[in-house]
This record gives sequence, C-alpha cells and structure tokens, in this order.
Amino acid sequence: MNKIFFSYALASVIISVAFATDKVCLKPEIVASSYVTEDATVLTNVAFTMQFVLKCSNGVKGISLYAEVEGKLLPAARLSADNKYQISWTEDIKKARSGDYYIKLYDEDKYNAVRKAIRNGESSDSVSPLAVVVLNNPGVYLGPWVNSEFLAAFLASFVSYSAFSAKYKLLA
Amino acid sequence: MKWHILLAAFAMLCIAAYAEEEEKAARLLVSKQILNKYLVENMDIVIKYTIYNTGNVAASEVEITDNSFHPDHFTHVSGELNARIDNVPPYTNVSHTVVVRPRKSGYFNFTSAEVLYRRFQEAPRLQVAVSSEPGEGLIVAYRDYDKQFSSHVVDWAAFAVMTLPSLLIPFALWYSSKCKYEKLLKNTKKH
Repeated sequence: MNKIFFSYALASVIISVAFATDKVCLKPEIVASSYVTEDATVLTNVAFTMQFVLKCSNGVKGISLYAEVEGKLLPAARLSADNKYQISWTEDIKKARSGDYYIKLYDEDKYNAVRKAIRNGESSDSVSPLAVVVLNNPGVYLGPWVNSEFLAAFLASFVSYSAFSAKYKLLA
Repeated sequence: MKWHILLAAFAMLCIAAYAEEEEKAARLLVSKQILNKYLVENMDIVIKYTIYNTGNVAASEVEITDNSFHPDHFTHVSGELNARIDNVPPYTNVSHTVVVRPRKSGYFNFTSAEVLYRRFQEAPRLQVAVSSEPGEGLIVAYRDYDKQFSSHVVDWAAFAVMTLPSLLIPFALWYSSKCKYEKLLKNTKKH
C-alpha cells in the first residue's frame, strides 16, 4: 500500500513538474499595439487599451496572464486570435496623468508571488515580470486653453484703446 | 393541519438544500457602461464592461460577447468585442474596455452584451448571463457638435481679416499725411 502511494505521489510530482514546465513561457516576445483616448472633450473617463500577441520560444499557448499597472492588478483578457491578449483600464480624466505607464506582465505563478508580496506589505519589484510593455499617454486634450471669443474681444479692445489714446494725444 | 406543517417543513428543506447548492457557485453581475458625455459621430465612445462575482467560488471561462456594434455602423478603434477571462475570483471586479467610433449620426439603442461562464470549475454546462443595457442614446452629427464646441478660430480669423481694411486704410491715410507734415516742419525749421 505504502509503495503504491509513494509511486502515485512520485507520478503526480512528475506530472505536475511536466505540467508546470509546459505552462512556462520561455523567452517571451511581445508585439503590442495600444490606444489611449486622447481627445477627452466628449468623455468622462480616459480609456487605456493595449493588445498584444505573446510568442514563446517553446511554443506555449493559452496561458493565463496578469498585469500590474500603477499598483493595480488586472487580468489580461484573451481575444479571439491565438495567444492574443488585451489589457485595458479606465481612469478619471482629472486623475489620469500623462507620460509613460509601465505594464508588467506576469504568468500565473509570478502573479501569485506578486500577490503574496503585496499581501505581506513588500514591494512587487522582487518578482521579475515576464515582460514589461510601455504605454505612453501623451496627455489628454480637454479643449482650448483660451476661448477664441475672449481672444477676439481682447484684441478688439486693445486696438480701440491704442487708437483712442493716439487720438487724444494728438488733440491735447 | 398536520399535513400543512409537514409540507412546509419539506418546502423549507428544499429551499435550504437549494440555498446550499447556491452557495457553492459563482454568480456574476455584469454591467455595460458608456463613459461619454456626448456621443458624437466619428469620435471615441468608451464602453466598459465590469464583471463582479457575488458568489463565493471563482467563475471560470468567462466570455464576454457583444454583437450590438455592427461594423456597418461602428468602426472598432481598440479592444475587441469578444474577450475571455480565465478566472474571476469571488468578490472581485474585472473590467474590459472597448473603444468604438460611430459612422453615422442618429438615435442608437445600446443593448446588452452576453456573458457565458462556468459557475464552478467542473460545471457541466455554461451559464448564460446578460449585462445591463445602457439604453438609447443620440449620436450627434460631427458638424453640429463642432458648431457648438469648436474653438471657432477659423471664424474669428476670417472676421479679423474682414475688419482689417476698415482699420488699415484710415490709418494708412493718416500716417502718410503725418509723415508729409513732419517733413514740411523739418524743412521750415532748416530755413
């Protein structure tokens, strides 16, 4: 009985190891395209979307991926095409900052390690991500700085002021 | 009377059993939101699908499908209308965002998206869920939107160009006469 149990345990270990190595993406390569809603004049929230195709040298397909952006953990949604994923989030217009956003991608194991690190109050930097993708937000457009009618009124008053002052100077 | 009590007890037992079965499964609430102040032709519309799991088991193989944005009426800018999330843990939010642009103006009824998921890992069949409906919205033509909200820089520039002659011609006349008299004044002083 003991022997059977041992062999069963060994087999399960071998299987789980084989399973684990099968699910690890080696030398991940990422081809990403991203979109940020820059013209926010009609929006209430800024949307950040990033789609990417993951390529592994060992041909792993269909693994679950997770991302960490600005301390938020997000699961990557799998899209219709093979090994294509999407990461997207929205942010309030006033809170969305411009500049580079670093999206760190993790697989299942690394994601669990990151969650553990966060739970223990440690930095997630100790876990090396599968890949890091940079998403650049050039800054959202919220409308012109100065309304053109104000500018026109200012110019008109400036011209009339200079004309009248010149006239009074001549008459004086 | 005794029968009634027995029946009630049986019903209670059934409910309890049902509740127990209910407890060990995921239950998803799906909302579909449109994060726009105005819907304008050829401008971004942000659609956010938020999934919240109120059950106490993780939902697996969650698939969102939204067929309400026909390619004839909308261009898909970013994000896909069919997405799969492997796992939604209990009491957590997961969101998916899509950006589209309407091709035409007019009223459009934003209907719900469909979500398929397994209520627990080994669930034999998929559970179908439907998201909330944002409802009908008016997509404004870009020209109308521009009329109201554009900065009108071109219009004001045209106005400035049109008013320029009536300002410049009198100024030029006055300036030329001024120069002439100043010349005369200089000449008389020399003598």
